Amino acid sequence: MRFPDEMRWAPGSIWPVSLRFGLAFASVAAALGLSLAFIHFNLPQPFATFAVSAIALTFWYAGTGPGILAALLSSVDRDFLFEPQTSAESRLLFDLVFLVFALVMTQVVRRRYQLELRVAERTAELTRSNDNLKREIDERNQAEYLTGQVFECSPDAVLIIGTDYRYKRVNPVHARNWGRPAASMVGMHMAELVGVEFFEQRLRPFLDRCFAGENVRFDDWFDNARGHRFVAASYSPLRSGSQEVEAALVIARDLTEHALASEALRQAQADLAHASRMTTMGELTASLAHEVNQPITAAVNGASTCVRWLTREIPDLGEAREAATGAIRNAKRAAEIINRIRSISKKGESKRQLADVNELISETVALLQNEAKRYSISIRAELHADLPRIMADPVQVQQVVMNLIMNSIDAMKDVDQTRELAIQSRLEENRQLIVSISDTGVGLPSQQRDKIFDAFFTTKPHGIGMGLRISRSIVESHGGRLWAADNSPQGAIFSFTLPIPGEAPV
Amino acid sequence: MSRNAEKKLIAIVDDDDSVRGTLKELLRAAGFSSQTFESAEDFLGSGHQQETACLITDIRMPGMSGLELQAKLNAEHCRIPTIFITAHGDEEMRFRALREGAVEFLPKPFDDEVLVESVRAALER
Repeated sequence: MRFPDEMRWAPGSIWPVSLRFGLAFASVAAALGLSLAFIHFNLPQPFATFAVSAIALTFWYAGTGPGILAALLSSVDRDFLFEPQTSAESRLLFDLVFLVFALVMTQVVRRRYQLELRVAERTAELTRSNDNLKREIDERNQAEYLTGQVFECSPDAVLIIGTDYRYKRVNPVHARNWGRPAASMVGMHMAELVGVEFFEQRLRPFLDRCFAGENVRFDDWFDNARGHRFVAASYSPLRSGSQEVEAALVIARDLTEHALASEALRQAQADLAHASRMTTMGELTASLAHEVNQPITAAVNGASTCVRWLTREIPDLGEAREAATGAIRNAKRAAEIINRIRSISKKGESKRQLADVNELISETVALLQNEAKRYSISIRAELHADLPRIMADPVQVQQVVMNLIMNSIDAMKDVDQTRELAIQSRLEENRQLIVSISDTGVGLPSQQRDKIFDAFFTTKPHGIGMGLRISRSIVESHGGRLWAADNSPQGAIFSFTLPIPGEAPV
Repeated sequence: MSRNAEKKLIAIVDDDDSVRGTLKELLRAAGFSSQTFESAEDFLGSGHQQETACLITDIRMPGMSGLELQAKLNAEHCRIPTIFITAHGDEEMRFRALREGAVEFLPKPFDDEVLVESVRAALER
């Protein structure tokens, strides 16, 4: 039978049974032997003392069963030591003493074992706690080491700013950026380093937001000991146990080289886009000249008519006024066309603004109407009436539309069937605006349709193969996409999307 | 009296509304009445060819061009004195037009005096 731990209070249970019970026999035998020796030398009879000791020893080391056996053996042994005439009361007293002692020892041993169990449990618990503590200390040491390494070896400037705007800790990169030892900066007020005006206007607002609990990210050009640098910084609140922000962790990455490279790339892309626009405009010279010439001719006709009415024998002022008004109207029309050409030809910074895509399409169509007419191509526009305005560079969007229309015109120049170009603008459910330009031309090159957006791929005899590539770059830089598909029953459809900003006013 | 004396009509063919309108007004100020047509096809379909004393036409137009209109009229033995006005004029085109019997070949914008004189010349043919 197996007892639960709290019941297994016999300490000798870990010994073999034979040894445990052997101890009972051995201890009682030893008590008996010693008593007989005492009797032999006429010394006072000490059996009771020796027997109690043997019982106690057996209980203590061998457990309850052997202990009881030792008590019984002691009762039997006393018959060897006492005179046969010893009274039954005296024998009973001995038995009673052994019994009571055995019972007391049973409780003592039980208590002792419970105590030992408790001590063992507490010891195990302490050992576990100790192990955990050691592990925690190791982990903390490791974490501190890693944090220190990150802090000290980071390629970014890392610093901790207290709510009093003083440096609590700075890493070597930050120290190098300002050309002074890190130790000398600790305790220094930020304004002392960066200047009061710069601190108050540029840094403090971000820090105050951070101390209010906000994670702040920003990038800007700054001046430090290394010169005019473009820095991307993040301010993160550091909280203590009370959740109160005690400091700001500042990580500042110097992106000057990246910014300069991006700027150079952006400039190169802008130059390329401009060169492409100018190439397109060059191809359109004849049509644009005609486009401008028409209103100029009408204006000259009006002015001539006016002069004729005025130089009659009896000047007709009413007719002259009407003719002059018409001349002014046509001269303005010519100026508008020139402005349109100039705006698309201009070289300048890409400027995003709220733009009406339908208006951009209409203006581009107006510029290209004559080119289409030249090849007997009809242009049909189906523009969604309530398109929201989008954030876009108007010149770039017009460049894409112009490029796609020019491609469609090219594709239809030599076909004998109906030459129809359709431009559609519509809204998609996922807050996307779609512009599609379809034609009835020769269609996409069947074997190379996946290459039409590659740089320097062209099917035109004099093309440079950059138009679609640039158009796709422009659309993607606006967060949209540009793709091509077959038109039914013939021709191609080029479509591009532009995202509609959430907060943009309609 | 010229052969054209009995014919009354000066026809203006140009796809551009503003040019067409102002040309008509210019001729009216100069004392001529005229009729305008949006395209060569419009003019041919109007049935006014025989009564047209002078044709003023643009060259580049959607559909039939001014030169094609002239060639078609010639092919139908309807020789109308024609003044070409164009923003795309080059010497070859000018030579071709004059060879086919054009009265004048005027680049846009043109001098009103030259146009009026050309119209007069056409009407007197």
